[in-house]
Amino acid sequence: MKSILLIDDDLEFTEVATHIIEHLGHMVSVADSVEEAKQWMETNEFDHLLIDYMLPDGSGLNVFEHLQQKETPMPKVTFITGNPKIKSAINHIAGPSVNYLMKPIEREDLESVLNPKRKPSKVGAGASSKATEHFDCLIGESTVMQTLYKMIERVAKSKANVMIMGESGVGKELVARAIHNASSPDGDLIATNCGGLSKELIGSELFGHEKGAFTGAVAQKLGVFERANNGTLFLDEVTEMSLDMQANLLRVLETKRVNRLGGTKEHLVNCRVISATNRTLNEIASENILREDIYFRLAVFPIEIPPLRNRVEDIPLIAGSFVAQLNIEHGEKFKLTKSQIERLLSHDWPGNVRELRHMLHRAFIMSEPGTGELELPSTFASPFSQRKQAANSLSAGKTIEEVEKELIYATLDEVSGNKTNAAEMLGISTKTLYNRLHAYGEEI
Amino acid sequence: MSNEKLDKQIHEMRKPLNGISMQAELIKMLAENSPENAKILVAAAKIIENAKACSSMLQDLSVGDDSLPQ
Repeated sequence: MKSILLIDDDLEFTEVATHIIEHLGHMVSVADSVEEAKQWMETNEFDHLLIDYMLPDGSGLNVFEHLQQKETPMPKVTFITGNPKIKSAINHIAGPSVNYLMKPIEREDLESVLNPKRKPSKVGAGASSKATEHFDCLIGESTVMQTLYKMIERVAKSKANVMIMGESGVGKELVARAIHNASSPDGDLIATNCGGLSKELIGSELFGHEKGAFTGAVAQKLGVFERANNGTLFLDEVTEMSLDMQANLLRVLETKRVNRLGGTKEHLVNCRVISATNRTLNEIASENILREDIYFRLAVFPIEIPPLRNRVEDIPLIAGSFVAQLNIEHGEKFKLTKSQIERLLSHDWPGNVRELRHMLHRAFIMSEPGTGELELPSTFASPFSQRKQAANSLSAGKTIEEVEKELIYATLDEVSGNKTNAAEMLGISTKTLYNRLHAYGEEI
Repeated sequence: MSNEKLDKQIHEMRKPLNGISMQAELIKMLAENSPENAKILVAAAKIIENAKACSSMLQDLSVGDDSLPQ
């Protein structure tokens, strides 16, 4: 069941379309203007918006622009019009999530936009660009990724719940999407972040609520379990959910039934639950952040995503793919040079793929348009990488003098160059510190 | 009649045509669960078919430029 917002000022059309869409098993809310649509979107999340191109107080594009400014996940959008020229009007925003329907509309048209049938995705199915997109979303050919692809293929054939573990920025949501794509279910992938919701809101987000269930519940709302029916529910940061709420979640996982807040009727739900956490198994076990019974329900099939530093051979492919994507978005022809790729390979990327993408995005903004030369920042350092570099710098093969030099400079960095404080921290006299720095060729 | 005016009228004509087509779709959906409604289903399907034919004719009449009014 999907939550649909239908935006059209033609009352007869909205009435009959609502009947048809409800008959197809979805829930519909109706707005007759850009303003009313904005109001609906303030308090509700929708899976799909059906928007009339011409509205009394503006264009359907105004609704689309408003959607783009919101921080919530972008729903699918279908523009509805009686004018065949819609194609050229929405050309600049058309894509897998944005399409259009021409009036007169048939039931099959609505079915095809609300429940598009995907072709079964296999490893490497989406090889349209240079880098192969495994399951239409994952990039990388390293051994660790090949193992991951095999696990995704296996679990996709089952209905098992999956728990994805890995550091922040490794792409847990993409792996959830890969499992969803590989399973080709009838329903959608619905994602929610359990860590980003207040204690008061999380119940309504997960299980939905009936109209009037609490102050502010002005309309019925479907929870993510119902929206993901016959599909996949992705619960990110599941370990950040309170233990009380975990008890409610356990009940739904065991009975496969949800009770909307303020409701009396139980609704059957059938979806694969993929959860994710950036906590390690040790933390989960020792810090009492996840009930044991819920762990075993969620982690029937645990998957660990390797950090980027453990698959450096994938960095050129991933970086190349981001650059190609940014080139399309910005109408540029930037390329990474061999020496730039070497620089990328030498960084440890503590923020993983997310950090790499953000750095390249920054580089795009800083580079001179039209030159083809991408200007990478002079340093990739972030607070996280400095910390790790300091921790990782001690390795066999270095001389005591080299390690001592690194330690002295790291300490000076830590105390913003104050030599008295640095000497105190190092347990040496200020004079000794000055002598060392002099020996390193520093001008004092 | 100017091209612009003709295009506007074609657009306006699609609105009732869409109403006819969608109401027929709803009739089909409401009737399809019962075998005794076979004749209703055939009639609704014919209405939809004719609405499609009209739509196609309107498309052929459309002559204006490629831009949509904002």
